[in-house]
Amino acid sequence: MKYDFAVIGAGPAGYVAAKKAASAGLKVVMVEKKKLGGVCLNEGCVPSKTLLQAAKTYHHAKHGSIFGVEAGSLSFDFGKAHAHKNSVMDRMRDGIAGLMKKHKVEVIEGEATLVKGGFSVNGETHEAENILLCTGSSPTIPPIPGIEAEHIVDSTGILNNETLPENLVIVGGGVIGCEFACVYASVGVPVTVLEAMPEICPNLDSEISAILRKELEKKGVTFVLGAKVESFEGKSVRYNLEGESKDMDADLVLIATGRRPNVSDLGLEDIGLDFDPRGGVKVDQRGATNLPGVWAAGDVTGQAWLAHAASRMAEVVVHNITGQKDIMRHDTMPAVVYTSPEVAVVGLTKEEATERGFKVKTGKIPMAINARYIAENPGEEGMCKVVLDADTNRLLGVHMVGGACSEMIFGATAMLETELREEEIAEIVFPHPTTSEIMKDVFMAVR
Amino acid sequence: MPRQGQSVESCILTEWKVQSGDTVAEGDVLAVIETDKASFDLESTASGTVLELFWEADDDVPVLANVLVIGEEGENIDEFRPADSGGTSAPEPVAASTSDTNIPAVETTAQPQETIAPSVGSVSAPSAGISPRARKKAMHAGVDAEILVGTGPGGRVIERDVDAFLSGSPRLSAAARVRAQDGLEAPKYGSGIAGMALASDMREPGAIDGADVTPVKGIRKLIADKMMQSLQGTAQLTLHSSFDATACQQYRKKRLADGESKVSINDLVAKAILSALKLHPEMNAHFLGDRLAVFHEVNLGIAVDSPRGLMVPVVEGASTMSLEMLSAEIKKKAIACRDGTIQPDDLSGGTFTLTNLGMLGVENFTPVLNPPEIAILGVGGISVKPKRQEDGEISFVDQISLSLTIDHQAIDGAPAARFLQTFVNHLETHPGENPQTIEGEE
Repeated sequence: MKYDFAVIGAGPAGYVAAKKAASAGLKVVMVEKKKLGGVCLNEGCVPSKTLLQAAKTYHHAKHGSIFGVEAGSLSFDFGKAHAHKNSVMDRMRDGIAGLMKKHKVEVIEGEATLVKGGFSVNGETHEAENILLCTGSSPTIPPIPGIEAEHIVDSTGILNNETLPENLVIVGGGVIGCEFACVYASVGVPVTVLEAMPEICPNLDSEISAILRKELEKKGVTFVLGAKVESFEGKSVRYNLEGESKDMDADLVLIATGRRPNVSDLGLEDIGLDFDPRGGVKVDQRGATNLPGVWAAGDVTGQAWLAHAASRMAEVVVHNITGQKDIMRHDTMPAVVYTSPEVAVVGLTKEEATERGFKVKTGKIPMAINARYIAENPGEEGMCKVVLDADTNRLLGVHMVGGACSEMIFGATAMLETELREEEIAEIVFPHPTTSEIMKDVFMAVR
Repeated sequence: MPRQGQSVESCILTEWKVQSGDTVAEGDVLAVIETDKASFDLESTASGTVLELFWEADDDVPVLANVLVIGEEGENIDEFRPADSGGTSAPEPVAASTSDTNIPAVETTAQPQETIAPSVGSVSAPSAGISPRARKKAMHAGVDAEILVGTGPGGRVIERDVDAFLSGSPRLSAAARVRAQDGLEAPKYGSGIAGMALASDMREPGAIDGADVTPVKGIRKLIADKMMQSLQGTAQLTLHSSFDATACQQYRKKRLADGESKVSINDLVAKAILSALKLHPEMNAHFLGDRLAVFHEVNLGIAVDSPRGLMVPVVEGASTMSLEMLSAEIKKKAIACRDGTIQPDDLSGGTFTLTNLGMLGVENFTPVLNPPEIAILGVGGISVKPKRQEDGEISFVDQISLSLTIDHQAIDGAPAARFLQTFVNHLETHPGENPQTIEGEE
């Protein structure tokens, strides 16, 4: 067959691109070796958020007395939470399948390899004028002795664990580690996070990371910072802390040390595709690789590691293929940690902005000054921090921790995308009482 | 405005280096000025506060006119104001009169909105009108039709003018707008959301992607005009030749052995030009369209690569100079050009020009005439070439290439070739010597 556009991988980059290209009148095929929806829907965003919501509901029920809510005898059925998770995933997968059908995207189940001018799948070779490579990523498994043991799982494995362990040790205090720590700690499982760096989520503003760590500690998570795991023996985890080896018992171990682009067994070396130093497929701002007609988007490029970034990258690619100018802007890509409280950030941190040569001014206020916030999140610490260019008053970054701040970060994204300054933002009306007012009030603290 | 040589009546004030209110000291650079030959720094002859600038950049200022006043604040400056300066009081703007139908567009003074829509530089005369279709489209898009530049018959604003305006005015982010107020311009397609121009996209007017863009002015503009004028206004023909440098090299060695001053190959070439011109004076001339001026004396122009660009200082009265004098004079003028201290009078009046790119490894090139001169000799680098000696043996010798460009309007190829022959013969047999000792080849 000959297609206008072939999409390899049916994750948030793939299905967005396929639908968009098909709407533009292209003859589109999408190849997926596992399930529609990719990592996001099957092994990442969607199932983890479902479990996080289950944990949050339990937590609220247990700690409702401040609102006068006493739940009496409370129990948590992890199996039921998984059943809900699975039904959400099934429903979303059906949704994608329906969307593809509606837009006449041909979906092929199988493992594709790229060949010159097209791709092969299930023993057949097809031509394609343009190919989008969006094969996603997989968890990295560090070479630690004993890591093959059955009770040691990665982020994909833990999503299929339907029984609550006696305790959980998480190796890696990044976004994934923190989210699972929150799930398990909220339902009463003792959780220990071993993080090699001096602070969790080292890519975030350090004050934000510290607040998140303290809030998770309140939920029962123990963080061991600067800990380097040396080996696993039986149910024991051996780690090094300040030059001293220590052991601790773990009923379940989650390895959450990062992800790597899925670039093997795709024939990429054979067609001469270039990779960047981090191992992802090298792309320019449009998503174009070094080969004409071959594009890449999402985790496979080793950039962003976010579903919404992948979708946007895919959209940029389709725009470029269909003759519409568009480029990827990573600087305005929001990122969220879906713990309780949530962390939501967009733009530059103070350090990044200074490094870029901006004369920086910042402002920060605690979420506790916001009426709606303290009404809904009693006792929970939160913060909103803004980074501005002192020369033009342009907003450069917004960093929040507290409540459900993920729901309002898009507002900050819009401000950044349009390069609004303090003066313009002051004219935006925020409904009262909402937590979002924090984004207006924070400018009072700018200096 | 200081007098820049006898023949200069006015200078262009290219760029102000100070503004009203600045404090300056004696010797500070006030402005860059240029004659039709070169550009210079105008230095302050007094200390104090700059009270007023009487001219704007690019004004043509008569020599000896006041350009600015330096004094103490509050002093009355009216008595110093030159009568004919454009000054800071801008000339009366031409009003877009409703009765005048033949003015298609009138330059307006900058208005705040103009920076937001940089494509609008002028307004159409109301009388030219607007087509109903264009008016409807402009109204629909919220564009004031009065500010559109008409390209229809008689300057009438038509639909495509509205389209051009709409596509040519990118949306600016709030931060980009701040930059626009500083005079920066947005690209047609910005890197922001849906092509919005972001602060980082803003650039100097006239910028080109992937290039550093600077205005052509000062000496670059002078050279550009002169070169264009040369190639468009003359009939250039270039003759290529070369000479055996052996005699020159031996002569230089001998001078050193005899304890005489050091001279360069270029000095010997200059001397040879003077010798050859004695025998071929028709090459030492100006072509003036209806007249041909053949000069008695040679004023030898020497092309010099200076930090400000190509300059051609003139060694006046070169024909009567000894080799040592000629060498010293060429050196002095070249240094003055490189230091920026060359006098304007030293940059004009040449009758024949020598240009040398040999030291930069150029083998051969076609020099461009310096009109109204009718000849320019280009000298290339040394290359080793086989040469048949008198005994018939082939040996390798150092050869220096020559290219003589002439104005075929004034002289033909054959007499120019004969000039070259004499010149080559001189360098191969009597380098450095005075012309009277040369035997004519005729």
